[in-house]
Amino acid sequence: MQETMIKVSGLSRTFGTFQALDGIDFSVQRGEVMGFLGPNGAGKTTTMRILTGLLSPTEGAVSVGGFDLLSEPEEARAITGFLPENPPIYDEMTVREYLIYLATLRRVEKGALEQAVNRALSRCGLVDVADRLLSNLSKGYRQRAGIAQAIVHSPKVLILDEPTVGLDPIQIREIRSLIRELAEEHSVLLSTHILPEIRMTCDRVTVISNGRIVAEDTIEGLEQRAHAGQAMRIVLAEPPSAETLESIAGVQSVSEQDGALFVTAEADEDPITEIVKQSVEKGWNLREMTPMGQSLEEIFVQLAGSDPLERSEENSEEGAEENGKGGAA
Amino acid sequence: MRALMAIAKREWRSMFISPLAWALLAVLMAINAFMFNAALQNYVMQQVQFQAYRGMDGGQSITQWIVAPTFGNAAVLLLLLMPLITMRLLADEKRRNTWEALASSPVTPMQIVLGKYLGLLFFIATTLLLLALLPLSLYFYGSPDTGQVLSGLLGLFLVSAAFGAVGLATSSATKNPMVAAVTGFGVLLLLWIISWMGKAGGEGIEPVLNYLSIMQHYERFLMGVITSADLVYFLLVIAGGLLFARQRLLADRIAA
Repeated sequence: MQETMIKVSGLSRTFGTFQALDGIDFSVQRGEVMGFLGPNGAGKTTTMRILTGLLSPTEGAVSVGGFDLLSEPEEARAITGFLPENPPIYDEMTVREYLIYLATLRRVEKGALEQAVNRALSRCGLVDVADRLLSNLSKGYRQRAGIAQAIVHSPKVLILDEPTVGLDPIQIREIRSLIRELAEEHSVLLSTHILPEIRMTCDRVTVISNGRIVAEDTIEGLEQRAHAGQAMRIVLAEPPSAETLESIAGVQSVSEQDGALFVTAEADEDPITEIVKQSVEKGWNLREMTPMGQSLEEIFVQLAGSDPLERSEENSEEGAEENGKGGAA
Repeated sequence: MRALMAIAKREWRSMFISPLAWALLAVLMAINAFMFNAALQNYVMQQVQFQAYRGMDGGQSITQWIVAPTFGNAAVLLLLLMPLITMRLLADEKRRNTWEALASSPVTPMQIVLGKYLGLLFFIATTLLLLALLPLSLYFYGSPDTGQVLSGLLGLFLVSAAFGAVGLATSSATKNPMVAAVTGFGVLLLLWIISWMGKAGGEGIEPVLNYLSIMQHYERFLMGVITSADLVYFLLVIAGGLLFARQRLLADRIAA
């Protein structure tokens, strides 16, 4: 049973003469976590702001939970939870007041308010600070309060713009497992710079660059791409001639450097098993075998690669993404 | 409706949590008390002079001599202070990024504007309640014209409400509260004194400028005269301010 929760088709957005989004299409199914990946200024935040009704598209159609964002914006927003890149915090409120206020705006029934707020508090680990003023909380807690407001009304669709920025490693782990847990009932669209995070939390990945989608695949699919045509570093105590190795099916080329052999595999071929097998049979005495293949990161750089200087005209709202870049490096 | 009330309540509460509102109220009350006393002294002086020269009670209306000028001056004070109260209303939400949480909620721009405005009206009502205490104290010593006092209060409420709507409009147009305050103050001051140019403007312009002037409409309320023309004027200013703010919020989605 597949139900499309987010559907974006032909979405374009211009700011003045700057084309931030250029006809992007993607969809997110129910119960799916979609990773949204791309360099700074690629259009991730713009897409998220359009999905949450903060911006109108220049062209194209967007629907959330079956509600068209242009004709039924309130219905669509009622089932959407959004964590912007800077948590939207009212300093003068306590965490509890804050969640009650936003739950009320998101149409949580009066009788269900307390339960909804308590649930969000405990899910985000905020119970102990529930009655403290938000202005007195650390960045990590403010970030968690931001996540709590996004889920307080049990939205069907969650849109998270870099949810783990500013958290410590323990909190990051908690938030990631929270996202996995939420994905059981909600559909999640998650932008991040942190590639391991994508691997840990996402089912599918959309890579966006210069306002266009350059790849859309499952994690497995991306990793297969990463391993296709990969190279290996092999150390053998009794190495055979390079010709012997090259004759093994799937091996494209062999070179030697500092006593180690570098073996490149042909695309979509996996010669590892055969190399190991022959090494045992012929007594090459295998000492070390290290995959040198492209990492997810390299794939990302290759897909999204663009000269950052070309992007300098991107407007300031994307600027804060700079902060998260360290995670990808 | 529930969302609208929630926005109004939050706004009203956050005004009183910030020291700014308290400081403004304190200044307003202090200056207002000073002006009330000045009007009172003036009135007493007049009474003495009338008695000395004519040997009789001057028969001056204490409403006319004390309440009307106090309310009149209070409006000028509010003209200075209201932009400081309204500057945060929308500009601050955008500056603090809370705008994203508010605007991604299922509320329309009109609900946001009306909710903010309602919260502001609560604040104005509180302010007027305090401002009315001094004129009301006159009831212990004399018999003010209740009709004229109430008319003046209604006028002061409408003037404040119009100031607030203009302030909300300027707050919707910028991310920077100070810019909102300065612009709001400029617009209000111009609307207050626009009739000064009436004479110079020539016959065609004069009635128009007089009609636009807030002061001209407010003065009739202070005299105890309530006309539908004046009521309509204030309602138009309020509706204009609110609709401008709503349009700005809608335009933000397209232009921002």
